[in-house]
Amino acid sequence: MSLWAARAAAESDAVLGARPAVVYEPSTVEEASLAVAESAREGGGQSLVFVGGATELELGAPPSRLDAILRTGRLDRVLEHAPSDQIVVAEAGVTLAALAAVLAAHGQRLALDPPSPERATVGGVVASNAFGPLRARYGSVRDLIIGISIIRADGRMAHGGGKVVKNVAGFDLPKLMVGSLGTLGLIATATFRLHPLPEDGVTLLSARRGAAEIGRLVARMRESQLEPAAVIAFGLPDGRFDLAVRFEGFGRGVLEQRDRFTALASAEEGVSCEALDAAAARDLWARHDGARRAGSLRAKVAMRPARSAETSAAALAPLLASLENPAGVLYPTLGLGFASGDVRDPDAAAAAVGAARSRLAAEGGSLVLHAAPETLRSRVDVWGEPPPAIGLLRSVKSRLDPARRLAPGRFVGGI
Amino acid sequence: MSAVPASAEDLAGRLAGIVGARHVIADAAELSTYECDGLTGVRVRPGLVVLPASTEEVAEVMRAAAAAGVPIVARGAGTGLSGGALPVAGGIVLSLSRMRRILEVDLENGLVRVEPGVINLDVSRAIAEQGYYYAPDPSSQSICTIGGNVAENSGGAHCLKYGFTVNHVRGARVVLSDGSVVDLGGPVLDAPGYDLLGVLVGSEGLLGIVTEVVLRVLRKPAATRTFFATFPSTDEAGEAVSAIIASGIVPAAIEMMDRLAILAAKAATGVDWPDVGAALLMDVDGPLAEVEHTSENAIDLARRAGALEIRRPRDEDERALMWKGRKSAFAAVGRISPNYFVQDGVIPRSEIARVLREIETMAARVGLRVANVFHAGDGNLHPLVLYDRKVPGQELAAEELGGEILRLCVRYGGSITGEHGVGADKAAYMPDMFSGDDLDTMGLVRCAFDPSGLLNPGKVFPTPRLCGDRPGPFRPHAAEAAGRAWRE
Repeated sequence: MSLWAARAAAESDAVLGARPAVVYEPSTVEEASLAVAESAREGGGQSLVFVGGATELELGAPPSRLDAILRTGRLDRVLEHAPSDQIVVAEAGVTLAALAAVLAAHGQRLALDPPSPERATVGGVVASNAFGPLRARYGSVRDLIIGISIIRADGRMAHGGGKVVKNVAGFDLPKLMVGSLGTLGLIATATFRLHPLPEDGVTLLSARRGAAEIGRLVARMRESQLEPAAVIAFGLPDGRFDLAVRFEGFGRGVLEQRDRFTALASAEEGVSCEALDAAAARDLWARHDGARRAGSLRAKVAMRPARSAETSAAALAPLLASLENPAGVLYPTLGLGFASGDVRDPDAAAAAVGAARSRLAAEGGSLVLHAAPETLRSRVDVWGEPPPAIGLLRSVKSRLDPARRLAPGRFVGGI
Repeated sequence: MSAVPASAEDLAGRLAGIVGARHVIADAAELSTYECDGLTGVRVRPGLVVLPASTEEVAEVMRAAAAAGVPIVARGAGTGLSGGALPVAGGIVLSLSRMRRILEVDLENGLVRVEPGVINLDVSRAIAEQGYYYAPDPSSQSICTIGGNVAENSGGAHCLKYGFTVNHVRGARVVLSDGSVVDLGGPVLDAPGYDLLGVLVGSEGLLGIVTEVVLRVLRKPAATRTFFATFPSTDEAGEAVSAIIASGIVPAAIEMMDRLAILAAKAATGVDWPDVGAALLMDVDGPLAEVEHTSENAIDLARRAGALEIRRPRDEDERALMWKGRKSAFAAVGRISPNYFVQDGVIPRSEIARVLREIETMAARVGLRVANVFHAGDGNLHPLVLYDRKVPGQELAAEELGGEILRLCVRYGGSITGEHGVGADKAAYMPDMFSGDDLDTMGLVRCAFDPSGLLNPGKVFPTPRLCGDRPGPFRPHAAEAAGRAWRE
């Protein structure tokens, strides 16, 4: 048993039903490194899952073995913020909300806005490749992370990238860790490039648009050289969508883009587009976060962006019909979306997931269950068919974690 | 690997059987063309050069090389500046110059699929009429290839706002060192699995040979505003850069030139630039009102930082000339010095003025001059160390000064390369930036992709790691054998 920061596990430490024996709660990166090294020795090598804010803990399969978890919550220091260089270095357990507060004091932000920022941690967001509406403009974790330090399965610390945005020295370990779900190492610290907080912003809502109209509007926005910060479409029960667009920047630029979008969106007869006041805009983005968090089943779908409203509506119709409280949110410029609800009939839901996957796979897309009840997990693989490069994925895993101690069985293809 | 390397004739024969005899070069005079890339000071003659025309041919060549235990160095246009395409003595150089088709244009999804030998600028040219472009713009964009850009994660002036090659590559078809072919990423985002595409881009030919690339292309911005500002010295110019960034403006590009670089560009291109201590060339782009606002603000900030003169191009031709002056500045330095080394390092942008002064002091100490023309917005320095080979000892002194500049960048928290890559040139400097464990971890990634170590050996790593046997317990499982799963 450890001399530092370890305790016996409780019921609340379970990961998708698997209960560990030990919980490590290091308060420094060095302690975390010692804890991982110790877990490699304990009992012939403990299987280990890293836990941040647990906002995406349901992503992935349950661990096939679980001896210990390492909670990153006490690794909560912002190690360096250089406002004039627009970079920040933070420990894994810093929440997005805490980070945002530090950055906002200098008029900056990390342009990552997944739901639950008060719980989601830097390490967890990197490990799960979490994102929100701002991805439309600023990209995802891989586009914003510039450096990383990891603790390998053998407890050794390794760095990749650096503290400057432009840097091509060595292999890109930061990107390797993005979305790796704790299977390659513990993300101890991450370094990000920052953006200025916009001077101004406006959210516009064009309600009750048909699926085909969403695609046309998004294409027209692009052709008209508008540059929205975020574009989302809420799926409605009747197959229509509420389209929300946000423009950010300096005051004059925001006004120009607002007016031009309003003209585009109102060009067709019988449709409307309104600029929301601050309170209504807040409500709308809260509605987005709510839709992303709702339901015991949450499926992320990926497809080609053009016609993604039609594609997702068609692919997901049987699934949504099988669920209680169905909801969906689409990112039509990215070709990504989430569908959620509560599972009524696991057989029907499993069949609908399979049907949706076939449909999406036909255009190179995918469906991953970010949350699912056990009744559904026992019927379908949360990741779907392993990708063609699965052999290479396994090769990377076995080089970095040869004893398969880190989150065994959690990842794609049983990695 | 085969323990017995095939004789050169045997291998040449096998390769000729794959790609056709016309596309295998074994003649000594012809081979000399491939002795180096843009890093011309180091030359190694390869054993053979092979020019395949398809993914299948690349894979077969790879299998033949693997069977013979002969290393392979992939090569695009050979414009790289770090010796990434430097041959291995007696090894194979695999040129992708015959694979230069644009395979698919899908603008409604913002994608273009190309072969690796396609020239960077030709991607933008192919879609310009429809109002789209490919954002990464290395200075060599009219001759360098997409395959080389992927290997080096090439940047360019406009990556300050738009990112590097890695931010614009969506998918790649890759031939691995055992001759197998895998697709990483693709036209749809977020394929389940590790982001191996993100690792591949910038891996300098050590992980695989790319035979197809899916690129993200962008709609042209509504408006672009360019201005050229002159300053008494790099101190004021550096201050202007900091002030502009601090104001919340994200310029598309901010380039800085010091006095020597300005003189060189004038001599080479005939741009009518004054004799001043420093100049900035800046682009802002985006929606019209936003751009007008930010360019006026940026000009105001430049004036307040001490700008002597602000010039705005009257038309597109004048703008193009300004950028031509900037982009040809490297080569132009040949007008003011018989020889020079191009260096590439990165520092936090807030330290530009301080670091440039240190470089000046370091250069003066050894009696050399350094011209600076660089991407100021992201602190990516390109010091050009001027020397005369005919003066005894000067070449060595220049090389040493280049190395000291790199170490200076690392001391300031920066990087030994921002866009030219490590290659053969900077492998020795990797330990200045990375620990043994850092390099070991990168080595493990290399072993996962290429356990044979046949792909571009001698680059990036100061001391290559031996991969050994496949590590860990490896017990084939029934489901695994069926290719379905990998579980305990």
